[in-house]
Amino acid sequence: MNVSNVYIIGSGYHSFGRFDKSYQQIGSEAAAAALSDAGVEWRDIQAAYMARMYLPATSGARILRCLGATDISVIDIEAACASGGAALLQGMMAIRAGDADLVLVAGTEKMPRGFMDPSMIYSPWQIELGMSMNPAYWSMRAMRHMHEYGTTHEQIAMVAHKNHLNSVHNPMAMYQKEFSMEQILNSPLVCDPIRLLEICAPNDGAAAVILASERKVRELGAKGIRVAAVAHTISRYSSDFRCPAETMSATMDNLGPSEVTAARAYEAAGIGVDEIDCFEVQDTDAFCEIEIYEELGLCGVGEGGRLVQDGQTRIGGATPVNMSGGLISKGEPVGASHLGQIVELVAQLRGTCGPRQVEGAKTALGHVLGAGGNCAITILQK
Amino acid sequence: MSTETNRIAIKDGLFAGPLDDLADVHLCGSKCAACGETGLGSLDACPNCGSADLSPVALGNRGTLYTYTIVRHRPPGNYRGPAEFKPFGLGLVEVDGVLRIMAPLLPTIDDLRIGMPLRLHPYVLRTDENGAEVIAFAYGAMGE
Ligand SMILES: [Zn+2]
Repeated sequence: MNVSNVYIIGSGYHSFGRFDKSYQQIGSEAAAAALSDAGVEWRDIQAAYMARMYLPATSGARILRCLGATDISVIDIEAACASGGAALLQGMMAIRAGDADLVLVAGTEKMPRGFMDPSMIYSPWQIELGMSMNPAYWSMRAMRHMHEYGTTHEQIAMVAHKNHLNSVHNPMAMYQKEFSMEQILNSPLVCDPIRLLEICAPNDGAAAVILASERKVRELGAKGIRVAAVAHTISRYSSDFRCPAETMSATMDNLGPSEVTAARAYEAAGIGVDEIDCFEVQDTDAFCEIEIYEELGLCGVGEGGRLVQDGQTRIGGATPVNMSGGLISKGEPVGASHLGQIVELVAQLRGTCGPRQVEGAKTALGHVLGAGGNCAITILQK
Repeated sequence: MSTETNRIAIKDGLFAGPLDDLADVHLCGSKCAACGETGLGSLDACPNCGSADLSPVALGNRGTLYTYTIVRHRPPGNYRGPAEFKPFGLGLVEVDGVLRIMAPLLPTIDDLRIGMPLRLHPYVLRTDENGAEVIAFAYGAMGE
């Protein structure tokens, strides 16, 4: 299949955290920053896609109207934690279809304070019986992995330690603070074996990119980052124990959502995992990152704990993961989280990350995974 | 005049058979004739292949603990556990070699082990606004 190239020519964000600001302000600041970075005007944008999960209907239009009421198509996109990937896919397809040369793709979230209303995800009977804690699902996967492969509490804590350490130099992050292994291992258990300093918090934030066709890139004389692949899937039957699942099959052994999505993305990009220089992945909890190492093919099944222990996923290691500090440090504004990863990866490929720069990075991968087995992977190339 | 207890399942179709004798209550499964998978409860469509060719089966009351966690904080929303919160186990219980069912676990949290044998424990969770007893389930150790 001969498909045309699509490039990111600008990126911008609003920090992730908790702010006394409307979602319109947060989202439009990120969009304006991306436009400014690309050196294009809002009135030049021909279509816009807004990823969000917890915001009201037509949030995209309400956010982008702050930049001026143009008459383009603005569509809200929701695919749980993979919303940003689904939006990016739509933007890429609009350009590949020849329908647009310049597209804005953004993600914005402003999460409710305190515990999220569990009835958005869970059935009433699950809530009554206490099955409405998202970390419980992650933790059961971790417990089984520890049982089968000998993954340790220390290895899980090492992921959190690495990511918190990476965040120190990232102004996008909610927590820019190093925690010692001791502090992490002494933080309270949330759902065994996962601890408070090993999970990410839902919060507010926004991120945006400007996509351009090859023709537009030439016309602008821009230096674009090529979008080599965007893949979005929902998990196969019983392949992923994630909220709000009630059961798993004991007979089926289907490939997990990250494996399936990665295979599609690698094929679309025409590369293997060995050719990717750095990764931003869904670290909703520290164990999740270990499992994703295995599912993306950074190591064999059961070897993820050893990979982080050996320092391979640190900045400076063979396969750096979550140079930004990950969601554990940034927080997870669900609609914005994948585009936040893209902002980091664009900066890595431009070589502008300063102390957290992966030297010579030419190819980068972003991965998100969440409710319903929604998974998205984007591969970018310099 | 009926002397039957007025009882309903916490979720429609969750149990097989009458709810009068809780010692004899089983979870209901739906076995698919097309692909062979079994889903939990009385279902209209197979969760694997979408087929409507399903037969109800009474699932065995014994299982083994496939994995678990301990919930250390009170779950949000309308949780019906003890008024004074106590950390409790939640697990995936493998039943009949076909299905792993998420369920609250009754054993003391320190006694939970992957692979331990468990037994279904249906119980009266509460009485609803019509006076019906609402039946829920958990898994307990074999002696419980
Ligand atoms: Zn079937």
